[in-house]
Amino acid sequence: MIFTWYIYAGMAVAAVFLLFGLGRLDENAQGAWVFRPLLIPGVLLIWPLVIWRCVILWRGEEKLDRHRMPRRRQERVAVVFACAIPIIIFAAMFVRQDPAALPPPIQLEAAK
Amino acid sequence: MSVKYVPVQWNKNKWGYDAVLVALVVAYILIFIRLGTPAAELARPLDYAILRMRAFGTCAFWMLTIILCIGPLARLDKRFLPVLYNRRHFGVLTTVVAFTHAMYVLGWYFSFSPQSQWLALLSSATGFGQFLGFPIEILGVSALFILAVLSATSHDFWLSFLSAPVWKTLHLLIYAAYVLVVGHVALGYFQDGANLTFATLFALGALTVSGLHLAAWFKERKVDETIIDWVKACRPEDIPDKRAAIVTLSKDERVAIFRSGKSFSAVSNACAHQGGPLGEGKIVYGCVTCPWHGFSYKARNGRSPAPFTEMIPTYNMKLEEGVLYIDRKANQPGTDVEPIIYEVAEDG
Amino acid sequence: MAKTQEPFFVGWGKVPKDLRLFLICCAVGLVVGFAAMAYATASTQEDTGAGAFMGQTRATGVLQVEPYPILHVISSPHFEKGDTILLSGNGKRGAIDQAKDHDGKIVQIRGFRLDRGGLQGVQLRNGQRGLRPTENQETSMQIPVESLGRWKLSGEICDGKCLGGAMRPGTGLAHRACANLCLLGDVAPVFVSSGPIDGSEFLLLSNEDGQAVTQDILDYTAILVGAEGEVERHGDMLVFKISPETIKVAQ
Repeated sequence: MIFTWYIYAGMAVAAVFLLFGLGRLDENAQGAWVFRPLLIPGVLLIWPLVIWRCVILWRGEEKLDRHRMPRRRQERVAVVFACAIPIIIFAAMFVRQDPAALPPPIQLEAAK
Repeated sequence: MSVKYVPVQWNKNKWGYDAVLVALVVAYILIFIRLGTPAAELARPLDYAILRMRAFGTCAFWMLTIILCIGPLARLDKRFLPVLYNRRHFGVLTTVVAFTHAMYVLGWYFSFSPQSQWLALLSSATGFGQFLGFPIEILGVSALFILAVLSATSHDFWLSFLSAPVWKTLHLLIYAAYVLVVGHVALGYFQDGANLTFATLFALGALTVSGLHLAAWFKERKVDETIIDWVKACRPEDIPDKRAAIVTLSKDERVAIFRSGKSFSAVSNACAHQGGPLGEGKIVYGCVTCPWHGFSYKARNGRSPAPFTEMIPTYNMKLEEGVLYIDRKANQPGTDVEPIIYEVAEDG
Repeated sequence: MAKTQEPFFVGWGKVPKDLRLFLICCAVGLVVGFAAMAYATASTQEDTGAGAFMGQTRATGVLQVEPYPILHVISSPHFEKGDTILLSGNGKRGAIDQAKDHDGKIVQIRGFRLDRGGLQGVQLRNGQRGLRPTENQETSMQIPVESLGRWKLSGEICDGKCLGGAMRPGTGLAHRACANLCLLGDVAPVFVSSGPIDGSEFLLLSNEDGQAVTQDILDYTAILVGAEGEVERHGDMLVFKISPETIKVAQ
């Protein structure tokens, strides 16, 4: 339900953005129309981010940071990632059940 | 390299790359269904849909595994860089394969009930508090959602619009997606049956991804060291002609000092496109050329040659006692800086 | 410092000669690797047992509604007199809607036979065509109910319909959500025991009072568990009157 409304909102944003906003914000997109339908799924899924970026670009608040890659962040994420994988795998191996090792049926009380 | 955006900038290498990708998927699915399954000792055939969800599901897992190996492999051995070149198509195709898997699951396990498929998926998800028996479908759907977002934002437009740092941060979600997929399989198909062939292959694949990332991280760590205002870089003769030396200013900022004959210029090491390591590139046709996607810049001003418009920051340098120093403060992207001239004595 | 001669690849340019061979090897290796992986994974898939849909059938018998609808067969072209079969509806639905008004009556059923040797079932056709009381309600058949005592059993809780052969495979964690969905649709849960009790390893589940138990077992489907409860024989069918608080994940 919520997801459906999210996508509807995305459609509205996509229409405005692709028809009007795009050419003003990105000079490489001026007059380029064939690639625009390709952007629709992206706008539908991350339209809040699209609005946020539009505001930044509109106000001209873009900084030099544009060229600073989040290397430190990537490094941390990659290390956490590289540690999480073996933890999941070994935990999954540990809990793996073997049908052959199940105890046979045991009668606790005889029939009354 | 965008003058005007087009859906895909095809070239011969991309065609070749994509041909290999399609061959991978077709070979995998056909062999799984037509050769492998008949060779299994089955008294009666498996359900048509279950066989396909297995084929497409495991295929998507292997594709994602290979994709995640490319990055660290290219850091460990530069010969793998061309595999990175068209990685986005690999990603999009993986999303399609994973989506096909999900459609078979929805159309089989979550059909034939009075509820709609998605509602059925939610209502049957029980056991959130337990490890064994955790509802793996939720993990799978989350991973698929991430893959969809990343595929949908893989066009170059998104890089330029979101800016490379934001785009890169968004695309770091691929790590989360892989963890979700590993959980999805480890608590699902991995647990089923007494035959350990798939379980072993799966564990080895996932652990390889993990190991390669640790190895690449370890290698990078040695490169990073800390510093002051004018950062001592290297001796001019240490830089091979048409190549660069990379200097680390901080964890997030690296500079590439390029040599073209006897002139030396410093530019940001991060390509304006996807943040590729320019310093590992080369001067081709007089321009610094990124090793990832071939974006080019003039070394002295960090501007792409016309008609392209990309710009990267430049850095001031000085030469003292035969050693190059870099000004920690970057210039605005596209600022022209007079190159340092130094006659390198021909070696050997 | 790196050698200047190292081959350098530019995406839009030609692939350097030295790299070409390396990349061709990568591509071939990858395709062959994928092919091998596909074969290894597919050829080691496990058999899912004998259960399957066995075509159309009909039967007359005594209907028992609790814990879940079952039929004690009097006559049928496919089942023996005295067989007890699990009834289910179309898709992931139990037969309770069709059966609830006819408990203890003699009914005629039509549908598709599910058979897994030791576990027999019928997927009823919709409405009256699937299940209706016969005009003649006289029978000499008695349904014997016999207690086999209290047991501690180990095994897997499944939905009786998929297990019976409606899905192949209809067990295991990958199938868990589907099993839960069937159970939520009132399909009868079945306990697959690690060993036979009085000759049978498939037991219909009920709560301690002999009624439906669905909600208490949803967290434990498709994994190996141990549980205690009284076992009763209803005709040809064993019923495991499970005590939900004793259910524990095995190992």
